[in-house]
Amino acid sequence: MRFAESMQLGSIEAIRPVFMIVMGVFLMLIAWRLCKTTEVWTARLIVSGSLLLGIGYALLLPLYDAGLIERFSPASGATALGWHAVKMVVMNCGWLFLGIGLAMHAKVFPSFPPPRRFSPSPLVSPAHSPLTAPRESIG
Amino acid sequence: MNPLVETLIFRGLLFDALGVVGLGLLGIAAVRLSLRHRSWGGTMMALGAVALLVARLYFILAPHFLNNDMLLAIGPVGISLTIALPPLLLSFGLAGIVWGLWGHERWVREETGGKRA
Repeated sequence: MRFAESMQLGSIEAIRPVFMIVMGVFLMLIAWRLCKTTEVWTARLIVSGSLLLGIGYALLLPLYDAGLIERFSPASGATALGWHAVKMVVMNCGWLFLGIGLAMHAKVFPSFPPPRRFSPSPLVSPAHSPLTAPRESIG
Repeated sequence: MNPLVETLIFRGLLFDALGVVGLGLLGIAAVRLSLRHRSWGGTMMALGAVALLVARLYFILAPHFLNNDMLLAIGPVGISLTIALPPLLLSFGLAGIVWGLWGHERWVREETGGKRA
């Protein structure tokens, strides 16, 4: 009897939520470590995407599997509809943010030159302004 | 109910599209990383993204073509595959992306550590 119970604990249905919790937490940790070496907006997008996915995989989907959240069907009430909307926002926006962040990290998008700043402040003298500096160096 | 809410929530059109776009971008980024840096993490991430995309495509398309005639035609082995394959693809896809991200993170850490040293 005890052997049968332990076999149930080791079944795919029982292991799947544990797998998703481990993967969600691991994803958040790796993304946090990766972000120390990336730029500001790339890091923000990767961290926000991995946080959303971590919440989705480590919290929401195991709660669904455990039966603590009612599964959505067209006949179900407002609570199930709300949880369904939360799940869809969390999972899909998580993949979107993580995808955009990793694409920026891999430099998929062409990087435009940064906009040139014209500072009319009197603190910058004409001799040090970027427009006149090359001419002086040539002359 | 409002038709806009019905399209967005009941059919999940907008959010499914956002997820597919995100997974596509992740796959492109992974392929680029593996081509440019020759890191196995990028290859694993690309395989995981493809597995997740295939599973998602199956979930979106299955209600439109999976009927009783189709189930009779594919037989018991095919029916078992329709039950077993999507969760396997989802699990493998998630594991591949996390494993690949871990490998890429280790590669980046070794590169930056090597440059500092």
